Amino acid sequence: MLQTWCARLRKRGLDTLPFWLILPTVLVLLVVQVYPAVYTLWLSLHEREPQGWFYVGLKNYNRLFHTSLFSESVGHTLVFLLGYVGLTMAAGFCVALLLSRNVRFSGLYITLLFIPWIIADIIAGLVFRLLVVPDYGLLSGILQNPSLFLPHGLSVLTAVRPQPWFGQFPFPPAPAMLYLILASSWRALPFITLLLLASLQTIPTEIIESSRIDGASRTQVIRRILIPLMLPTLVVALFSLTLSGMNGVGMIFSLTSGGPGTSTEVLSYMLYSIGWRQLRFGRAAALAMLIALVNWLLISGTLRFTRVQDRRD
Amino acid sequence: MIRRWILIALVFALALILSACAPPAAPTAPASGQSTTAPATAVDFVTWYQYDQNNEDPASDERVGNAYLRQMIPRFNAAFAGQWNWVNQPKAFDKMATELVAAVQAGGEVPDLFQMASSMLNLFHRNGAVQDLSQWAQAQSWWDDLDPSAVQACTGADGKLYCIPVAELPHVVYVWKDRYPDGFPKTPEAFLAAAARLQSAGLYAMTFFGSTDFDGEGLTRGVWMTMSSFGGTMDDGHGNMLLNTPENIAAIAFLRQLVQKGYVPEISFAGGFQEEDAFKDASAGAFPTGLFGYRYVNPLHAPNGTVYNKRNEQDMLDAIAAGDVEFSTYFATPGHTPGCNVGVQGFSIPVGAKHPEAAYDYINWIMDPAQNADWVLGPGGGFPARISMSHTEQFQTPFYQKAAEVIKASNCRPWYGSLERPQEAKKLVMTTVYKLIKEDPTADIGTLLQSTQEEYNANN
Repeated sequence: MLQTWCARLRKRGLDTLPFWLILPTVLVLLVVQVYPAVYTLWLSLHEREPQGWFYVGLKNYNRLFHTSLFSESVGHTLVFLLGYVGLTMAAGFCVALLLSRNVRFSGLYITLLFIPWIIADIIAGLVFRLLVVPDYGLLSGILQNPSLFLPHGLSVLTAVRPQPWFGQFPFPPAPAMLYLILASSWRALPFITLLLLASLQTIPTEIIESSRIDGASRTQVIRRILIPLMLPTLVVALFSLTLSGMNGVGMIFSLTSGGPGTSTEVLSYMLYSIGWRQLRFGRAAALAMLIALVNWLLISGTLRFTRVQDRRD
Repeated sequence: MIRRWILIALVFALALILSACAPPAAPTAPASGQSTTAPATAVDFVTWYQYDQNNEDPASDERVGNAYLRQMIPRFNAAFAGQWNWVNQPKAFDKMATELVAAVQAGGEVPDLFQMASSMLNLFHRNGAVQDLSQWAQAQSWWDDLDPSAVQACTGADGKLYCIPVAELPHVVYVWKDRYPDGFPKTPEAFLAAAARLQSAGLYAMTFFGSTDFDGEGLTRGVWMTMSSFGGTMDDGHGNMLLNTPENIAAIAFLRQLVQKGYVPEISFAGGFQEEDAFKDASAGAFPTGLFGYRYVNPLHAPNGTVYNKRNEQDMLDAIAAGDVEFSTYFATPGHTPGCNVGVQGFSIPVGAKHPEAAYDYINWIMDPAQNADWVLGPGGGFPARISMSHTEQFQTPFYQKAAEVIKASNCRPWYGSLERPQEAKKLVMTTVYKLIKEDPTADIGTLLQSTQEEYNANN
């Protein structure tokens, strides 16, 4: 009787072992992911008054949509993402291609290349800001030279944005936005380069050599062989850059603070501003939910795309 | 055996996770200089200041407040030996409000008292972060001595007192005397004439906080000074924004003219308080800002070649004493008194404070004439809110006497008037002003002001 009972208990223990093993992870996820997400959703439906929190339904979302800065920020975010992701991917791919050749000191180049990645966003932003501060920035002497940049020279941090080409959509971007894209790309370049370099090095050289024997040009090799074989990595890089560009605020915080005017005010900075400067937690939570939705779309889109690729492979 | 270890590991992991949810331990390390004066039985009295008593860097922007705390913490602990042990936790000036509200709402560790600017009062009040001090304050001996306008600045929309005013911080115009040998102009027309004269000499008439940085902080300084000196206002007295008025339109058109004609330097729009640089090197002749600005604007290179290079607040004080820099009222349109912003610095007790009685003792101690002037000159950086204190010796220096004359000739009032969401209004209005004066000099001022006020009022 006792033996049967012990055996049953042992069997049940073994049956439930996976549950116990996964429990710590689930608990951690509940604490650091699920609870904040649910709480943010709750906040987004409430408004703070001196007496406490009051349910306001979708009012916070409604107010957000009727804020002039919101639509402007959406435009800035799109422009920033296109510039940041595009520039970083293109530069990262080119540098990875160069490094994949067996050049001398390539190890040193890779080490040097990695330096921007280990510098904090805020610090990198401050350094880039110091380069272009009007009057005494290191590059200001060149940029503010009227003979180089007509008619009055270029003051990156204070120059007004050009007249938009497409209604209110902020394109072409302000010089400060271009500079922000440049600085952000500079910082993200090492990671993307190393990611692509690692992927490049997994491609068998025989394939490339045989394609050359068959008469493929350099461009054809890149287009027809390298890019298709690197596609899963390219998608991961794209996904990583888009998410970091969508959610990052450190560089903007220290480099432009959303200015001049509102020309670099992207959604993540707007979220910071509403939440942490104006302390409108309800409205900030509503914006956070919208940003989370965009993130979720990006993640699910990427996962779907990579799954399709896996199936094709 | 293996299962037992797994179970132990799971319990350990669970304990670790749960421990993360526990409130942080109260700080136990005493501030420098305290340990010798506070007996072991004294209860910790925790404050949040934007100053750091442990920061002895002479180049720190906040050295005045830092030094004040270093000096006063041991004095307080000696005065309340065996009762209270003052522990100050430094907080960045632009993060304190957020941390405090978050701590109150999350039920976390809050200080017993914190230094507060009156412009943040509505924000704290709306978030339920501060205690009503009306009854207690009215029973104190110093209550009747407080400047009524300072008390008003500490009063919430519901008529209750949420902070104790200690110092009033008016705004003034700092002027390089050699740039304006006949004195700072009194009218906009005279200012434009002086600006043209300075421009022909390769100089700027003035620098000002023209960027949208710090969520529109510039609005509270030179921009508000211009608007109020033109007879403009920000509100209708009933909590609604009122921007689209002929006075405001005239003020913004005037600022636009200054910017478009190049009478102000480009660095005025760079943010990060870098507009100060143009005054430091005297390339700009004037600088409308808070009286407290004297602490931050240094070193100074006077037009006559004198260099004030102690790299601390003494530079400006020396320049004023030497007559190189002087204070002035802003220029005003006929029929209007020069305007300016005034803020109040004081104390609030957050909801959830563990030792409010310590905070009461502290406030009374600071309000005592023996300590009051030190606070006003130190963390306060302005004039005393206690009327009787303005006659004391510490406020008879050339700096304070000259500043007092200018304030008397101005009509200083809080820029936000009856607006209950000043932080939101500040960003919204400054963004519009920036658009009008810098980005789009052809835009119709009235139309944009109207849409801005409508956007704000839609949320009232």
